[in-house]
Amino acid sequence: MARIPKGLEKQFNVLDFSLSSLWRRKLKNLGIMLVFALVIFLLGSFQMLTGALTNSAETVLENTPEITIQKMSAGRQEAIPLAYKDKLGSIYGIRAIIPRIWGYYFDESHLANFTVLALESDSMPSGDKLNLTLSHGHFPKISEPGTAVLGRSVYDILGLGKRRVFSLFKPDLSLKSFETVGVFNRETDLLTNDLIVMGLADARDLFAIQESMVTDLCIYVANPTEIETIAKKIAGLLPDTRVLTKSQIQKTYQVVFSWRSGFASICLLTALVAFAILAWDKASGLSPEEKREIGILKILGWETADILAVRFWESTLVSTFAFIIGCTAAYIHVAFFDASLLKPVMVGWSVIHPPFKLLPSVTVADLMLIFSFSVMPYLGATVIPAWRCSTVPPDSVIR
Amino acid sequence: MRPSYILFFIILFFFFVDATLFIHSQRLEEELRSVEKIQKIAVSGLGLTDLCVATEARYTRNPAVSDPMAPFMDHPGALEHFPTGSFWAPEPIKSFR
Repeated sequence: MARIPKGLEKQFNVLDFSLSSLWRRKLKNLGIMLVFALVIFLLGSFQMLTGALTNSAETVLENTPEITIQKMSAGRQEAIPLAYKDKLGSIYGIRAIIPRIWGYYFDESHLANFTVLALESDSMPSGDKLNLTLSHGHFPKISEPGTAVLGRSVYDILGLGKRRVFSLFKPDLSLKSFETVGVFNRETDLLTNDLIVMGLADARDLFAIQESMVTDLCIYVANPTEIETIAKKIAGLLPDTRVLTKSQIQKTYQVVFSWRSGFASICLLTALVAFAILAWDKASGLSPEEKREIGILKILGWETADILAVRFWESTLVSTFAFIIGCTAAYIHVAFFDASLLKPVMVGWSVIHPPFKLLPSVTVADLMLIFSFSVMPYLGATVIPAWRCSTVPPDSVIR
Repeated sequence: MRPSYILFFIILFFFFVDATLFIHSQRLEEELRSVEKIQKIAVSGLGLTDLCVATEARYTRNPAVSDPMAPFMDHPGALEHFPTGSFWAPEPIKSFR
């Protein structure tokens, strides 16, 4: 049998001693490890969930309209005249301008917010393939007034069952009836769960918007490298509008889901700080028993470096296992349980609950960040006091 | 048995658990990639700008294109009324205005 090199054998012995020492105080060490793992689990889950949402948004939303124009008045968004479309005719490079109406419909009986969307889908990119996004039915045609396509949650909340007709209130509280001609399929839930898609004329009637108005104009350009230039030209030509480019919309998502800027992350960081204080208190305040143990070891001939090695192994084992358990549990939580602990914070008071079938985002950078936030301070909090104790004369400690 | 051998078996256990989860993540990624095609059609065909995550307030459903005044209307650091608002950072200055 191959012999273990002497240096390694010594480390194995130190490791064995550290493990026995951890086992002697198992209640304290297991307690610290579990609380530590819980903090890492919360941080990790939050990071994996927000990362997954950001990734999803980045991938899926790369096909959003290249430029969106909205009219602003007194700092608020209002309907934009269709005549603005003609004003943009002079800008070279615009491929298509598609008027769109979108708004929110608050269903008072179910306290749910639906998103109503209306546009001529035939003129949109991939408009001819839109029926693939439906589980059954087809998109409303111009020749079919009073028809709509519903997101799955809207369909469920309205309790349509086998019925196809539903009614929505107009601003004057009269009812407008719609016939359901299609329902979105499960795969698009993350995007279409709360949508009611209808024709422009129906949306105008529902929201009492004038014939000459829409809520925004979607603009597609011939050359994608010219998006910024064309956006600047539009901003100059229509000074009372807000011009949003695709990259700005995508940037919004990088910000909104960024856990570093969210209030929830502050709560989690507070938990981390609270744990750091607990760890410091538990680990740094060596009990008289532990001090005596260090003293005896020194009398027996152990060097300061050996005692430090034991403390280092103990802290490394506790913190690394807490890290592994926390991160593994976080992945399982997000991937298999749809982040059920964080979901209430994410959806708030929403009545429509979106599906969270997401791929947890696990990146080396994030793991390193969590590692350096959690394991490093713990190592510092435990090794430094042991070094302080092991440098004092042993007779003063055991006396 | 030496305690370090027991530790080795525990590490091996976690290695297998995490390796299984890694394989799971690869499969899930493949599964979601096939769904992505349909999602992209929905986005380009309807000109969608946002994910349907939080529908409780109009500006949390469509943060990129909704009324810029609604969230943080008191001041940029104000705590939000809606729970999901706690996830929402003040949006970057993005208009060409």
